[in-house]
Amino acid sequence: MKLSEIMQRLQLEVIVGGGSLLREVNGGYASDLLSDVIANARERDLWVTLQTHQNIIAVASMKELAGIVLVNAREPEVETLEKAREEDVPLLVSPLPAFELIGRLYKLGVSGMRT
Amino acid sequence: MKLKEVCEILEAESVRKVDSSRWRSREVASCQASDLISDMLSFRGPGSLLLTGLTNIQVIRAAELLDFVGICFVRGKRPEPEAVRLAEEKDIPLFATPLLMYEACGRLYAAKLPAGTRKEASPIA
Amino acid sequence: MPELEITKIQELVYELWVDDVMHKDVVTVTPSTPLNNLREILRDNRISGTPVVENGRLVGIISMEDFIKWLCEGSPGCAVADRMSRNVIAVCADEPLIQAINKLERLGFGRLPVIKRGTKEVVGILTKGDSIAGLLKKLDIDYRQAETRHPRSSHIFEDIVADRSSLIFEYDVAGGGDVKRGGASASGLKTSLMRLGIDPQTVRRAAIATYEAEMNLTFFTNGGLITAIIESDLIRLEVTDDGPGIENVDQAMRPGFSTAPDWVRELGFGAGMGLYNIKTCADRMRLDSTVGVGTRLEVEILMGGKREVVRDHATVTA
Repeated sequence: MKLSEIMQRLQLEVIVGGGSLLREVNGGYASDLLSDVIANARERDLWVTLQTHQNIIAVASMKELAGIVLVNAREPEVETLEKAREEDVPLLVSPLPAFELIGRLYKLGVSGMRT
Repeated sequence: MKLKEVCEILEAESVRKVDSSRWRSREVASCQASDLISDMLSFRGPGSLLLTGLTNIQVIRAAELLDFVGICFVRGKRPEPEAVRLAEEKDIPLFATPLLMYEACGRLYAAKLPAGTRKEASPIA
Repeated sequence: MPELEITKIQELVYELWVDDVMHKDVVTVTPSTPLNNLREILRDNRISGTPVVENGRLVGIISMEDFIKWLCEGSPGCAVADRMSRNVIAVCADEPLIQAINKLERLGFGRLPVIKRGTKEVVGILTKGDSIAGLLKKLDIDYRQAETRHPRSSHIFEDIVADRSSLIFEYDVAGGGDVKRGGASASGLKTSLMRLGIDPQTVRRAAIATYEAEMNLTFFTNGGLITAIIESDLIRLEVTDDGPGIENVDQAMRPGFSTAPDWVRELGFGAGMGLYNIKTCADRMRLDSTVGVGTRLEVEILMGGKREVVRDHATVTA
């Protein structure tokens, strides 16, 4: 499923996006601990988190994630925004809590299982 | 939904040595997923289950302050020994699931467990 | 009050299962174990009998009596299988404890092997002693919880005669990154406020505000003092330290802003929500800080829910 479609279906607000929104999303990953994401997230995962620190962009870039969704209507820090634009990492926001957003993503068919 | 059913859905097992069946019949009102302590502290409503990948003692503190019905650690993580000790002292049920946070949330949400509510933030003056 | 206690005990007994109290380290023997070895096994483990297990399944039981009979016959060379009772009574791990205790009483045995229902795998031993110990432990835990939930006295201030009265609790916070001890003060305050009979909502707000303040002290200072002043209709928290101070209080109050280093983030902190969370819990909050001198946080929590939201603070530069 394309990130743009997910964005529309779940009414996510785009903070940083553009052409990269057409990326294909392969799965989902949820964690607020960077070491966790670095160790376990896969390419093209959509990362759900509450962390707004600029480190998240470096991690998303390194792991070639499809993008980051910030939950609880969390606003990213200024440095994070800038880095996201620089690195072309899509940054979206949802007012929902993590549990609910993930639940809805899951329902859409964005899976978390590793084959 | 009872804690027992949650454990079945998450393929979770009890972490504490005393595996008391009395926990399993406890009612779970809602679920919250987070790895950040401050976030956990903004949750509302006792009777909520906490899903987390954070394994240090502070998670138990947060659970005690918020009256969570139990904590389930994801991705096969096990809490640190001090955390388990504190949980024993405060009698907080601890579970561990091999599932990733994402999958755990997905399954529970699909099983109709509601998301927990947060406290309303006051407007910034 | 006594009537309540008896019912509570009965309730608790019915809530226990065999696997809650049984001994899990079971000493077992196999049918082919030579009877000669039994003496040491029984003596070293100070037991008077042991289940006999084959491929993990319970097949018999051998006791001190069987052993003594064998000795009287001149200790002929034989194995456990020749002397054990195959007719063994056991209880299941998922049986209610009360049922198992009844069995022990009825049969006059001191112990019974515990098996997993279906597979007959031996998973423990149940003795009368274990049952009593387990019951006492459960009674203690639950009684302690009940105590904090239903405090013995009604609101303490109603019994005091004075123009104004307040209770003061002081907590020393170690600071210096001692993450393990962090939160102990907030926990202590919560327990104490519950004992005073203060409504759970107010207690939670006070406890959370204290916790966030305590963790700030832990991560950013070398220690400080938390003082909780409880009056009849409000709780005042004062948190002071002589740490580095906050450079820009306005900035620090913004959700998401944090000066925490990376190791703090990996512990689940550093999301920059601490001061914001405190503000959300408080009816009134004041934060004063002087760089190089220290910080003082004052929080007021009105009992019975938030009414007004007032926030003032100041940064004083030396």
